[in-house]
Amino acid sequence: MKEALKVGVSGVRGVVGDSFTPQTALSFAQAFATFVGHGPVVVGRDTRPTGAMIEQAVVAGLQSAGCQPILAGVVPTPTVLILTQSLRARGGIAITASHNPSQWNALKFAERTGMFLNELRAEELFDVYHQQNFPMVSEAEIMPVVVESDAMEYHIRRVVNYVDQKAIRKRKLKVAVDCCNGVGAVHSVSFLREVLGCTVFPVLDQPTGRFERDPEPLPENLKLLCDTVRANGCDIGFAQDPDGDRLAIVNEKGEPIGEDQTLALAVQQVLDAHEKGPVAINLATSKSVEFVARQRGVEVVKTRIGEINVSETMVRIGSVVGGEGNGGIIIPRMHPCRDSYIGMAVVLELMAMTGKTVSELRGAIPSYFMVKDKIRIRGEQAPEILRSLRRQYADKNPSLLDGIYIDFGDSWVHARRSNTEPVIRITAEAASPEEAARLAGEFRQKIEQAV
Amino acid sequence: MTLRLASFGIRGFVGDSLSPKVVMDFASAFGTFLGGRRILLGRDTRYSSPMIHACVVSSLLSTGCEVLDLGVCPTPMLQYSVKAYEASGAVSITGGHNGMGWNALILIGNDGAFLEPLGGENVLDCFHAGDFLKQPWDKMGRVASVDTFVEPYFQALEEKLNAEAIRRAQFKVLMDPVGGAGCGYLDSFAQRFGCSLVPLNAQPSGYLAREAEPRPRSSSQMASIIKHLHGHAGFVFSSDMGRLSLVTEEGEPASEEYTFAVIANHVLDKKAGAVITNCCTTRTVDDIAALHKVPVVKTRVGQAYVISALMDEQGIIGGEGNGSVALPSFSRAFDGFLMMGLVLEAMAEKKNRLSDLLKALPRYHIVKRKLTCESSRAYRALEILPERFDPGEEGRVDWTDGFRVDWADGWIHARASRTEQIVRVISESENRVTAEQRAGDIVRIIEQEI
Repeated sequence: MKEALKVGVSGVRGVVGDSFTPQTALSFAQAFATFVGHGPVVVGRDTRPTGAMIEQAVVAGLQSAGCQPILAGVVPTPTVLILTQSLRARGGIAITASHNPSQWNALKFAERTGMFLNELRAEELFDVYHQQNFPMVSEAEIMPVVVESDAMEYHIRRVVNYVDQKAIRKRKLKVAVDCCNGVGAVHSVSFLREVLGCTVFPVLDQPTGRFERDPEPLPENLKLLCDTVRANGCDIGFAQDPDGDRLAIVNEKGEPIGEDQTLALAVQQVLDAHEKGPVAINLATSKSVEFVARQRGVEVVKTRIGEINVSETMVRIGSVVGGEGNGGIIIPRMHPCRDSYIGMAVVLELMAMTGKTVSELRGAIPSYFMVKDKIRIRGEQAPEILRSLRRQYADKNPSLLDGIYIDFGDSWVHARRSNTEPVIRITAEAASPEEAARLAGEFRQKIEQAV
Repeated sequence: MTLRLASFGIRGFVGDSLSPKVVMDFASAFGTFLGGRRILLGRDTRYSSPMIHACVVSSLLSTGCEVLDLGVCPTPMLQYSVKAYEASGAVSITGGHNGMGWNALILIGNDGAFLEPLGGENVLDCFHAGDFLKQPWDKMGRVASVDTFVEPYFQALEEKLNAEAIRRAQFKVLMDPVGGAGCGYLDSFAQRFGCSLVPLNAQPSGYLAREAEPRPRSSSQMASIIKHLHGHAGFVFSSDMGRLSLVTEEGEPASEEYTFAVIANHVLDKKAGAVITNCCTTRTVDDIAALHKVPVVKTRVGQAYVISALMDEQGIIGGEGNGSVALPSFSRAFDGFLMMGLVLEAMAEKKNRLSDLLKALPRYHIVKRKLTCESSRAYRALEILPERFDPGEEGRVDWTDGFRVDWADGWIHARASRTEQIVRVISESENRVTAEQRAGDIVRIIEQEI
């Protein structure tokens, strides 16, 4: 079956050889160049075998419309964003389908601030795209390509400036890292070994773009990493996704601690060792993050789901740390985007400063249990279903920020319509698995009634 | 209205008709035609060439082709290399003899010649249908840079020519590659053939310091200095190294028509064989062939047609009056380095100065005129010529490619260019006034029509 091209706030995604062609990439690059105006635009990509083909199309599109492509090469998505901001470029394009399988690829568009386009700006871009009328510059105005081979240097320098590099190096931690055959395979081993002084045991560290595990860093996909941690007596295991923005952690016993807990540990370290300030997380992030923040007396602000929504909120309220429960750590003083490298550095710093093991650190944070469910609907039914839920839970003070979210203090339940499928997603979290299942089940029942 | 499509390529103005989308579709069509096999890629130094290069690489990778990237490479050198790398074809990105702002994709077949019309029509059909081969992620093509093509090329050229004689003559040679694809290779040539090199406009900047079309007008820089520098010969190239015009040691810029004539005279002296040329090349070539008692075969204008006839007729040499020559025993390309080598070889073997070689040729007065005209109207303008132009009793009319009339003293030819939006009028006669008069008559009639 033909997979449709998916055009939305997170960029343009498609299956290469199917809906995503060089012509697609060319037109969107032309539209982006027209949208941001003449000037430098940073371009980076992950390790997917289709990346080089798309990169060339993007280069041509940018040049023809008067932009100067700054090629960062195979780098993490956060590196593209950081470089865009550092170089005061007009914008940035990351060529990556993130955690989607190998056959997918995508273009993700960044503002000159180094943040992704928000919903309104993305709509403006797509308007330009749909006009299909891109001004071209004359031959004499074409700007030559610049190859920026130090892009990752910029990124790592910022990480090092943020954390106490000496303290980390002194501990000489033993670290396993699962690079998912993605950008981490190019950069993570030298980062951990050379920059942070760890002894490194890498797995899936061939940058082939042929992902040898499911690219989402979920606990069930990390068996190889867990085994590596156990076999080598590592202090910690890190798992990245193909474009290096998300991070999951395996403790010294070889057990995944859950993606939510990555963020909880990072929040703890930033608030304890760096700066106190508000924390921003999306609605579906675990209570454990909230617990860590409240324990330290800082405010917690909830945002809509989607990285750019968290990033923008953080910048607006002056948040010092936050992110998403899927393993996306954001530290705005470093850069307001998800970044597995600052994540690794901060967690290692936490271990170095406290001298504690991952399971000790994790054990100090109360456990919550999350249940996820989805219900297939007809797309147009979604608004009415959500309205009906809002009416029924009117006395529970529901948040309407993104679907419906109800906070019960020590538990919560959330329902929203998916952006990509005709389903309603239900997430519930509570102190016990039974309570979480009960909350999700209650929502499910109400939705089924409404259908 | 600047886009020109032909079976062997596409040419247009950057920022106008030659959009990246058109380039990408055309390259995708060629990649589809080749079925994702091995392909060579070369480009010149024009400002727009890297951008077009990126389009072509992306398209070819998407069709699963294995791309061997020769980087900045003269078109004839690329054509020569097709067989050596066992490629199924090649693409040359070059503005050729056109001015700033122009660029083109030239498609080359597995024999190193411009893609022949049958294959080219398949590419055009695919281009128009827009239905391209699109490989999935695990069958993407690959691209690799290649720089091993230079030595074998010059090695073959050395073997083809009497290198010993050229080296012994110790020529001082001026070369002007108009800042194009040839810049990086002039030294290799000079070293192999023991020449002392004076380069002119030889920074590979893509900036055109003169007209890119080799002819006396674009040779004026070289003509003004060659005598003072005591150069033995001056060579003025197009930016793809496919065309050449000559400047003598005395500073006379020879008409580009005589490049082919000088070389044909030399080649036929050594070995007899059929000569292939287009229907609007100087009559000097016919005279030289008659002197050597060999036949001349006339074709439509353009490298593709001349090379094709060269193969069909098993000719010994082919060329055109725009300053181009091919030897089928070397390659199926109009090749500037080969032409330069042959001229030097003629000078060395005959112990002649370049001006002597030119003086030995029967010469005519030739008048060339260009009329700007949309190609959609050009053919109509030519069609009315027989009604309005009276060739007289003796005139013989010929329609091989456009309108041609032959008289005892000369000929006139008018045709629509296949690469630009112009009508070209060429008139040649023993008598300058007659040549100019006939050209004037034809130009007036066409101007009235358009």
